[in-house]
Amino acid sequence: MSWLELSGSVTAVLVLAALAWALKLGQSKISDPATACRLAEEMLAGFVARRAIVSQDGCAALVAGNGTIAVLKRHGARVAARRMIPPLRVREAIEGVTVDTGERMFGPVTLLGVLPDDVERLDAPLTLV
Amino acid sequence: MQLPDPVLFAIPAFVLLIAVEMLIARARDPLRYCPRDTLTSMALGLGSTIAGALAGGLIYAIALWVWQFRLFTIGWDWYWFVLAFVLDDLAYYVFHRSAHRVRWFWASHVVHHSSQHYNLSTALRQTWTSVFSLAFLFRLPLFLIGFPPAMIFFVAALNLVYQFWIHTELIGRMPRWFEAVMNTPSHHRVHHATNPRYLDRNYAGVFIVWDRLCGTFEPERVDEPPRYGLVKDLGSFNLLWAAFHEWIGIARDAWAAPDFASRVHYLVAPPGWSHDGSRETSDSIRAAWRAGLARQAPSSEDAARVA
Repeated sequence: MSWLELSGSVTAVLVLAALAWALKLGQSKISDPATACRLAEEMLAGFVARRAIVSQDGCAALVAGNGTIAVLKRHGARVAARRMIPPLRVREAIEGVTVDTGERMFGPVTLLGVLPDDVERLDAPLTLV
Repeated sequence: MQLPDPVLFAIPAFVLLIAVEMLIARARDPLRYCPRDTLTSMALGLGSTIAGALAGGLIYAIALWVWQFRLFTIGWDWYWFVLAFVLDDLAYYVFHRSAHRVRWFWASHVVHHSSQHYNLSTALRQTWTSVFSLAFLFRLPLFLIGFPPAMIFFVAALNLVYQFWIHTELIGRMPRWFEAVMNTPSHHRVHHATNPRYLDRNYAGVFIVWDRLCGTFEPERVDEPPRYGLVKDLGSFNLLWAAFHEWIGIARDAWAAPDFASRVHYLVAPPGWSHDGSRETSDSIRAAWRAGLARQAPSSEDAARVA
């Protein structure tokens, strides 16, 4: 691989990424609790969703299911999910609550406009606020 | 014999086609692309090319060394290229199946599956650790048969170029005869899907007949759209994490394993295997899904009877 090929490849990578941004591709959100429930069931094998709360900005959701709670977060144009081992650890954030997923690379998930009481109501035995 | 590198010639077409697919996505479904995902895929592809260039000499030297023990001396007539292409594709099938069933190989191949999108940029999301994972071992029998290394690397590059265009949702189904023999976007969407029905299916590179012959074929269903990514999605666009996360996982698991047998299993057992059975493999996910279907089936019958 020559320097010319390498610089050409780097340029192509940056141009295509810039094009994707310029075209405003991949802007999504979790629209409502029903969508959150469907996504959790689809993404986590054997998960049976009962009810969900969604972050005000549509970037995250908590879904109570069969003995566990699923945490969803918007990941680009898609959603990434984790099945949490109870009790779910939730702490108050400035504009909502933050769920600690215990994974550094997945990161904590913040739900805006959601109160700790809302999370407790979702499934009190599974949460630790 | 000096042969050109088909991938090098194809790169401008790759870039152009990705741009075209983005424009179509803009008009039809803007969620088919995500800028950060595309950037991650392309950067992984670039890194893979650099890693390949750095290790290319070593691989070629190993191939030449093996070739000296060949059973036959194969010439450069066109029909040997055809046979080499077919047999190389069979070797690819075996490699690819192992890459999904043996965690050591999966640690390298997982990179290609780590996008939750399925578009042409996903085709370029390739591993940086192919040499380290010893993936080249699967082609050594071809050199032992007697195919010249330059011929095999040439047809392998053609194989790679073919696999680019099948990474798209824009093409539904190809003509029936084509779907029967060749790997197509429809077949490969199934391969990239995490739906229990689709897990670990359609390993083919160019010819889908290998899957049909070996019992690993699954057709795409209209009533079950594929969901792409990993059973446990990364949830991160960190380039280094995408490139190395499974290797790190192997190291952590092997370090914490309770005994030697478990250590070995963490290296060679199917992805998701754990010594205490606490994780999910594609087999266990499929079994749970089938059990769920079986539970639903009688109740549907009951409902039908009541109706």
